[in-house]
Amino acid sequence: MTEKISRRQVVAGAAGLALAAPAVHAQQQVTITFRFNDPEAPQMRGALDEFERRNPDIKVTMQRVSWGDAQQQYLREAAVGSAPDVAQLAFVWPRAFGGARSLRPLDDYIQRDGARLGAGGWDGFFARDLAVGADNKVYAIPWTTDTFAMMYNKDLFAQAGITSFPTDWEALRAASQTIQQRTGKPGWAFPAGSCGTPAIWFFMNFYWWSKGPGLIDRGSDGRFLVSMTPQQIQEGFDYYNRYLQEGHNPRASLSICLWGAPEVVEGMLSGNIAMCSNPDTVAIEILDKWAQRNPGRPAPFATAPHPAGPNGSRTFFGGRMLGISPNSRFPEQAWKLIQYLVTPDPTFARFYTNYTPAQQAAITARAWAPEMSGYPAQLRTARSWGPYGTGPVAIPFMWNAVGRAAGSVFIGEKTAAQASQELHDAISRELARNQR
Amino acid sequence: MASHSTASAVPAPAVSGRRKRPPSERGFLFTALAPPFFLLICFYVYPTVFNVENSLTDLSLFGLRDGGEWIGLENYVELMTSPDFRRVVWNTVVWLTVVGVSVRIVLGLALAFLLNSATLKRWRLSTISRILLIVPWATPPVVAIIVWRWLLDPRVGAVNAALISLGIIDQPIAFLATAGWVWPAVITIITWNTLPLVTLTFMASLQSLPHELIEAAEIDGASKWQVMRYVYIPHLKPAIVIMVLMSTFWTFNNFIYIWLTTGAGPGTYTNVMATEIYIKAFIEGRLGYSSAAGVVMATIMTIFGLIYLRVIAERELKEEGEA
Repeated sequence: MTEKISRRQVVAGAAGLALAAPAVHAQQQVTITFRFNDPEAPQMRGALDEFERRNPDIKVTMQRVSWGDAQQQYLREAAVGSAPDVAQLAFVWPRAFGGARSLRPLDDYIQRDGARLGAGGWDGFFARDLAVGADNKVYAIPWTTDTFAMMYNKDLFAQAGITSFPTDWEALRAASQTIQQRTGKPGWAFPAGSCGTPAIWFFMNFYWWSKGPGLIDRGSDGRFLVSMTPQQIQEGFDYYNRYLQEGHNPRASLSICLWGAPEVVEGMLSGNIAMCSNPDTVAIEILDKWAQRNPGRPAPFATAPHPAGPNGSRTFFGGRMLGISPNSRFPEQAWKLIQYLVTPDPTFARFYTNYTPAQQAAITARAWAPEMSGYPAQLRTARSWGPYGTGPVAIPFMWNAVGRAAGSVFIGEKTAAQASQELHDAISRELARNQR
Repeated sequence: MASHSTASAVPAPAVSGRRKRPPSERGFLFTALAPPFFLLICFYVYPTVFNVENSLTDLSLFGLRDGGEWIGLENYVELMTSPDFRRVVWNTVVWLTVVGVSVRIVLGLALAFLLNSATLKRWRLSTISRILLIVPWATPPVVAIIVWRWLLDPRVGAVNAALISLGIIDQPIAFLATAGWVWPAVITIITWNTLPLVTLTFMASLQSLPHELIEAAEIDGASKWQVMRYVYIPHLKPAIVIMVLMSTFWTFNNFIYIWLTTGAGPGTYTNVMATEIYIKAFIEGRLGYSSAAGVVMATIMTIFGLIYLRVIAERELKEEGEA
């Protein structure tokens, strides 16, 4: 028996299908969140728009948090299941975050897609050890890498009669003082202010590492210990304090906390500061702004590695990683976004151009501008955070403690000897507490 | 008989002296009070108990999912024996609260008298002065802090430029990064932003003072100082007490002015209890320790709260007695 279908039923069916089609489409399209903390938000939005164009079933919402708050914000969100699907992380966070079960292990994805990841597969990624947790699982994918180098104004150096960039710490201080005496401009006007994430933490470590051991290390019995004496710590405090006492770093620098502060960038651009120490992204920013403001005029800047001590010139490999939160409802789509973001073209070629992918092939292939030649030279002697990252004392703890101890010395609240002893004691206590 | 029936119509007072509420009234009271009590339990009692519980553990920001391990009073012992924490308490109590509140009260009184003065009214400046007074109060603290940081900046700040051009100083001063200047600078910012409320409160109290009282005192030969001492100050006393206590609450708990102005620095020079709790919890990751610091802070505030309640109660009793 055949059933007749009325015209009304056909119209109703067609209307139903028409209404259902977008619903089906809407079900297929998912929205994921990406927490991005760097200043280049418009450029990153461009990269995400390109990703959405290539993956019409995935929408990406970009969230912004300042780096100063990013760690605690993410950890709190992850604990209650509301962290973003994909998060930008500092190089030294994944191990601790993995231990806190705040990141999703990525081993299965790497096993499946590792050969196609980035420019040369997973094995070509840089700083993979920092992405691995204490349980040997991979919790993040290295995304960008950078290091600090010295940037200086060649004209001010020439006016002061200095023909080459100093290669040891005392020569650097002497050059800074000479520049101030002969040109009236500050020499190395490093930010000396105190806050949760002060720049002095990096400068202090560069000095200590080039002279001897770092703040903490693993002992022969496997336990971590403070590997510097209070006197060695004090040397660093005294060294930087002399810049302020001798007046070639003005006391106004006590009100600046961050390495890429506008005062530093503008000071370099206006020729009011002879030297600064910055990651390559800030150096590129200074060069770009110079080119915009002085079209056709060659930039008076050059870069060089930091001064060396018995251990050579030592800075650190810094950078960013990407991880997926354990609460992500769309881990496959999140992984797809990470795969896209770590691919040099288009992310780094068209959008995120100030940054270097954390991949060996990309680092060696990167063409540096002549003014930036100090950065590849510094990268050759840079070190990993090592025990700082794998040890039981959180880097933010040491960062804050070193910055505040240095600040107390700089303003004369404490002597360098007193501040060094207190810092040594504070880190020793934290080590003891966390190794119980 | 009639009197007997009347007596039976009125409920006899309970032996204890309390009137027994009918069941319907008790039900209404319970229904009316239940929501606020429920909200108080959810948003005040539970977090307080949870915080006290955390303060007895070694809870870390990196171990939120696992929770902390019970360590008894270890965090409190560390707090009480730490010279750093003693410094933090000193900064909070002396600099932030005692100095900060005193400056506000004294300046608030002076401004209230000035704005209430006949001279200002005679010059027709009274209204414009009051409008101008509102401006700092209407400025959000974040905006006020940014503006003041710019004003006090050693490189481009207007304050340094003015002092140099007047020949008062020859080198710019890093007001927010120099030990001798940072606390006065912070107190200045807080005072600028919060002074209007104190001034307006004192002005309102001054305007409620009957003019006949002042005239009577003057006719009796009282000097200006005696009028101030025996007429104005007694009249203003309740307002002063309330403003001192309220300002103490607002100031002692304050986080934003210190954190955004100095980041608790230079070094730890302006670290106060609220910023210490934030640093320990969210920079160093020691949630257990910072919870203990929070309990200590709450305890100190509870003492202030009890004083405040006692003052209010005494005032109400006095007013009832006078009525």
